[in-house]
Amino acid sequence: MSEVPPRPEEAYARIRAEGGAGELHFSDVERQLRHFLTALWGRDVPMRALSAGGDAPEARRSGFDGGVIRLPDALPALAGQPAEALFRASLAHLAAHLIFSRRQLARGLKPLLMAVVGLVEDARVEHLAMRAFPGLRRLWLPFHVAEPSGALIAADLMERLSRALIDPGYEDANHWVAKGRALFFDGKDQWEDPDFSLRVGGLLAGDLGKMRVGLNHKTYLVEPAYRDDNGGLWEFDTPPQVPPDDHDLPLEAMRAEPSEGQEPDEFDGAARNDPAAASAPAGEADPEAGVPVARYPEWDYRIGLQRPGFARVVECPAPPSSPALIDGLLARDPGMVRRVARLVRAAKFSRPERLRRQAEGETLDLDACVEAAVERRLGHAPDPRVHAATRRRFRDLSVLVLLDVSQSTNDPVSDPAGGAPTTVLALERHATALLAAAMAEAGDRFAVHAFCSNGREEVRYQRVKDFGDPYDNAAKARLGGLRGRYSTRMGTALRHAGRQIAGQPTHRRLVLLITDGEPSDIDSGDRRYLIEDTRKAVGELAGAGVDVFCVRLGGTSAADARDPARIFGGRNVLTVERLERLPDMLPQLYFRLTA
Amino acid sequence: MELREYRIEREPYYRASGDEVALFEAAYASRMPVMLKGPTGCGKTRFIEHMAWRLGKPLITVACNEDMTAADLVGRHLLDAEGTVWHDGPLTRAVRHGAICYLDEIVEARQDATVIIHPLTDERRLLPIEKRNELVVAHPDFQLVIAYNPGYQSVVKDLKESTKQRFGALDFTYPPASVEAEIVAHEAGVEPTVARRLVQIGERSRNLRGRGLDEGASTRMLIHAGRLAARGVALEAACRMALVLPLTDDADVRDALSAAITACL
Repeated sequence: MSEVPPRPEEAYARIRAEGGAGELHFSDVERQLRHFLTALWGRDVPMRALSAGGDAPEARRSGFDGGVIRLPDALPALAGQPAEALFRASLAHLAAHLIFSRRQLARGLKPLLMAVVGLVEDARVEHLAMRAFPGLRRLWLPFHVAEPSGALIAADLMERLSRALIDPGYEDANHWVAKGRALFFDGKDQWEDPDFSLRVGGLLAGDLGKMRVGLNHKTYLVEPAYRDDNGGLWEFDTPPQVPPDDHDLPLEAMRAEPSEGQEPDEFDGAARNDPAAASAPAGEADPEAGVPVARYPEWDYRIGLQRPGFARVVECPAPPSSPALIDGLLARDPGMVRRVARLVRAAKFSRPERLRRQAEGETLDLDACVEAAVERRLGHAPDPRVHAATRRRFRDLSVLVLLDVSQSTNDPVSDPAGGAPTTVLALERHATALLAAAMAEAGDRFAVHAFCSNGREEVRYQRVKDFGDPYDNAAKARLGGLRGRYSTRMGTALRHAGRQIAGQPTHRRLVLLITDGEPSDIDSGDRRYLIEDTRKAVGELAGAGVDVFCVRLGGTSAADARDPARIFGGRNVLTVERLERLPDMLPQLYFRLTA
Repeated sequence: MELREYRIEREPYYRASGDEVALFEAAYASRMPVMLKGPTGCGKTRFIEHMAWRLGKPLITVACNEDMTAADLVGRHLLDAEGTVWHDGPLTRAVRHGAICYLDEIVEARQDATVIIHPLTDERRLLPIEKRNELVVAHPDFQLVIAYNPGYQSVVKDLKESTKQRFGALDFTYPPASVEAEIVAHEAGVEPTVARRLVQIGERSRNLRGRGLDEGASTRMLIHAGRLAARGVALEAACRMALVLPLTDDADVRDALSAAITACL
């Protein structure tokens, strides 16, 4: 510890010099800080990171304003304390202000007076907080490093007074510091009064003025570093100058979301305007041209009637790529493969089944009892397994994984694994690969189909793997070869998938739709039309004993989730914003199925 | 006498924080089935033990689990040398011989187990045992009490409406701070100042309920921490062992809670 405390600029220069090593970002501790605040005061106060902006020292001071706490976006380790402690001390101090401080009118007050009143107010709220939580002293105290010196500089004296007011063991011979301390602690009973700081601060500021020690309020920085700028204490006639990015921050955060959600729509709009895409014939030249296999009705909500045979399903071959692609995906994180496989294996879906001749169980198996009695009377050793129990033993489930491979699945999504940016389709492929590997291992009956649409006459349906097929390299190659194109006529695809799975001789039948958005197609301008039709299709499938479950990948905003919830029912939609979360979400899916 | 081992000889400590004792006595007088609601560790089981002692009735407690079936409550046939013998389950014993039957965490039991209490909880006061073709008429002293923790945020783990509506309910929460401190001091054998600190710490964790923690520290947890402290463990270490580590595995919440506890000491 140096004899003369460094000036703020020097201190800041030091902070910056040390910065690289111990610096901690707000985002890393935000959750923890939030919980800390809530635990202490039972309040949820919004917190914002304050960008350090240029190199201005103010940028590393926290602040509060209108019930929002602003914390620097990064803080260094300081005074032998980890950066975490600095964050925590700042937050605890701000919380004390929020709970105990009242705004004062700043009009006509000199900067020196405001600074001294702020100092007294800081000490006052800290002492009030320490009445409830005495341990806070241990949090704040290490940052008070001012030492007595002969220097008569206002900022220096104030820093020493700050320490004198919180540290009972601190000795300072300076008259002003001693007076401040006496005034503050003599008024102990008046601490609850918010005007206390104004009175005591006024007296002290007057003395400081008489001592002719000036305060350069342009460079003045509240010390120690955990204390805020006290800007939130004062009511200014004109708004105080704050870094502009601070006010813009919450707004920006709000603006970002809708634009994300609009992307698929915009794309569809572009496709509609593209005459080549709209009028493309059913593709004689297309090597993936398929055969029409079925027509399905569509529900028109505007007339409240089915349009019979309105949409045509064309089955197309799925072009294979190399199976190595899928194996490579799985090899990337074997732990995840194991987790998903374990979850899939653990889920049991079947009718409860009565197990006879059990060693233990809820009831006696009468037949076994009679036999046992006969055996014994014959002098034989009876079979002790005379109980019966009911269990769900088998996995009586077939799953049809239906992949949305429309053009919008080529949209990039924020990177889930920390690697290169990826697309929705890649996410779908990865999720499907995980599930398929797990289901194949568990011996489930499952199929993987994919769909896209190019108008109502061409709902393209591709079979990656059928129920009877093994999940072999050919299937993996087809999964790897899926490409995103055209639009999303979900209802018709679901009806066709429902027909595929209807014949499966299992207790539960599940269509697992993996998609990135909502239904749309080039020949349907009315957004609601396909939504309502899909909703109807889901209802029809449910009526036929087929569960439809929607897994949305990539979307995050709440507005995005409203339509899927309307189509599938809120509890049948699962939003997986990051693929790593899939193992966490799967139990929910299974839970909802078995519940 | 039957059920002697189920009688409670010594008064279990219970510190009432409201009029729950009087309410329960009135409910027992008319043998109304009672449901005790409240978070875990807030004194539901202690309360019913105290009431059974106060009323001088035997208490049969059944901790329900998810494998619990109707047969576990009613009874089952067992084999002996002669053939089968019927063995009464805990509920049937209580019904036959007149005890307070306390089903703890009833929502954990399987549906068939919760439904068999229906005929016992209306005017009939009967327990049909279909396996024996027997109708057991409830002893005049018999009363059914169930406990459940509505904090389980799960749709399937809720009582059926038809079960709920048969019960009167007493709502238990953590007692007011001064009362809770009294309880902690008594049960853990610590000084009142320490007990007050512990209660203050408990409130910090309850602030995090639903915002990081599923449930705050219960009175029982505070007593645990107090007992460790009474054995000379430093309060901070005692809280870490008895509160922070059992409550959560989330590192952020742990750190936040530890910091909040440090601030209280």
